[in-house]
Amino acid sequence: MNFSDYIQKIDRRYIFIILAIAVILPLLFPLGLPTFTTPPVLSLYKHIDEAAGTDDRAVFMDFAQSPSTLPELYPMDLAILRHCFLRDIKVLTISYYPQGAAIMQMAISEVKEDFPDVKQDVDYCNFGFRNFALRVPITLGMGDNIAEAVETNAAGRRLENLPIMEKLKNYDNIQVCMEISGAAPGIIYINYARARYGVDVAIGVTAVSAADNYPYLQTGQLVGLLGGLKGAAEYEELVETFANNDIPYSEKKAQNLSWRNQQYELSKVPYKFKQARIGMDAQAVAHVLIIIFIIIGNIGYFIEKRQDKNKYVK
Amino acid sequence: MKRTIPLLIVMILGMMFVVHTFVPHKISQDFYNWYQTWLKVMVSFAVILGVGSLLMVHTNKIKRKAPAWGYSWLTILALVGTSAAGFIWGIEDGTPYMWIFENVNAPLGATMFSLLAFYMASAAYKAFRARSMEATLLLIAAIIVMLGRVSIGNAITEWIPDITQWILNVPNLAAKRAIKLGVGLGMTATSLKIILGIERTYLGGGKQ
Repeated sequence: MNFSDYIQKIDRRYIFIILAIAVILPLLFPLGLPTFTTPPVLSLYKHIDEAAGTDDRAVFMDFAQSPSTLPELYPMDLAILRHCFLRDIKVLTISYYPQGAAIMQMAISEVKEDFPDVKQDVDYCNFGFRNFALRVPITLGMGDNIAEAVETNAAGRRLENLPIMEKLKNYDNIQVCMEISGAAPGIIYINYARARYGVDVAIGVTAVSAADNYPYLQTGQLVGLLGGLKGAAEYEELVETFANNDIPYSEKKAQNLSWRNQQYELSKVPYKFKQARIGMDAQAVAHVLIIIFIIIGNIGYFIEKRQDKNKYVK
Repeated sequence: MKRTIPLLIVMILGMMFVVHTFVPHKISQDFYNWYQTWLKVMVSFAVILGVGSLLMVHTNKIKRKAPAWGYSWLTILALVGTSAAGFIWGIEDGTPYMWIFENVNAPLGATMFSLLAFYMASAAYKAFRARSMEATLLLIAAIIVMLGRVSIGNAITEWIPDITQWILNVPNLAAKRAIKLGVGLGMTATSLKIILGIERTYLGGGKQ
């Protein structure tokens, strides 16, 4: 086997081992690489933050997730819930997937640990699991009356009797419909809730699905998009910089990187709220490694091509 | 008759839903509320059908000792065990159901998906070759986006994230929009064909 063959046919077991080491090491010893924010994430943060301190606006979150997408989507769940609890923004949650409902429960409990004053059915309301077939009727029904469409919360209590629902009647009181999903996110809300009732929609998706949704961003049908672990890391960073230091979002401050780094240093972030940023260290190393493998493969390919050409000329 | 009645149901209900979407009249709203009540009943039957079908498939496999029949036992055990945990102790925090989810279901699911990274790395190394102009363009775009989506790209030059955003906002967006428009038109045409009774293959049974 000559050199060009050798570098084109590296045993995949070696690739797996090198990649495993490259992923595990940054997770154990975080590199602390900086996070830069992109416009779709900034726009979503700003949009949610505008509801701070109001009791007639709420963020509606649909957890369309399964455990397979936990590493990418769960940090988004935590970051958005944390933002809302820090800035006194009402939250309504629902899931049309049995596993999504369990993830929703897990996320709320995990974030709530740090917010003893945040009360169920007063500051947030978990609608629990609803059958997938009822998704369109509930989405449409919420446009007229949320309490009538959803009927009960996860504990089976009638929504119209809950304090949080006093001023939350329909989509007029929803700041943003946020669907965090590993499949085809936002389509139901864009087609029914936005087209018919004009509510703002945003999504959180796995990195592989992010590119599919750019047409909706450009038309304004989506007010924001969190794409994969990177999107989650950006949102985490904004929450720590602004919300955790009780600072309202400002475009000018968001552009000032040195100010943001300074604010970030000020906030003491527990591990569970920086999962995405630590994960991004591993992802950065993995991306570079994959690029190196692609370059090695192509070097072998061009050497081989050149050798074949020379052979043919002789 | 066996085909005419289902055809009529699809035609009439299809038309009524189209009218409901565009006409916000009380009659239209009442019809939709009536449909919602029916839907809740039908959904309950679908759950029975799904669980029944799963149990039938796996009990048959166990009876026939089909290849890997041991996994069928595991599937039934997981179905019965998780359902029982939910029915008996509820699904709130701290219940056995949530314990199963957090300690079995979640790590297993996340692990399966994580394996994808290893196969992607291996496949990219083996298959990504600059064999033609188109393949070279794809390769360059992929490398820029891969770098632009992590902070190393920004550390190399601020241009990389900007170019990444441009790739996503312009060429990617144009292609995705064309695909979505095509799919949307196709869906509209197929739906109309079904409502008008032109497309009947969903009824099964081959040619009439």
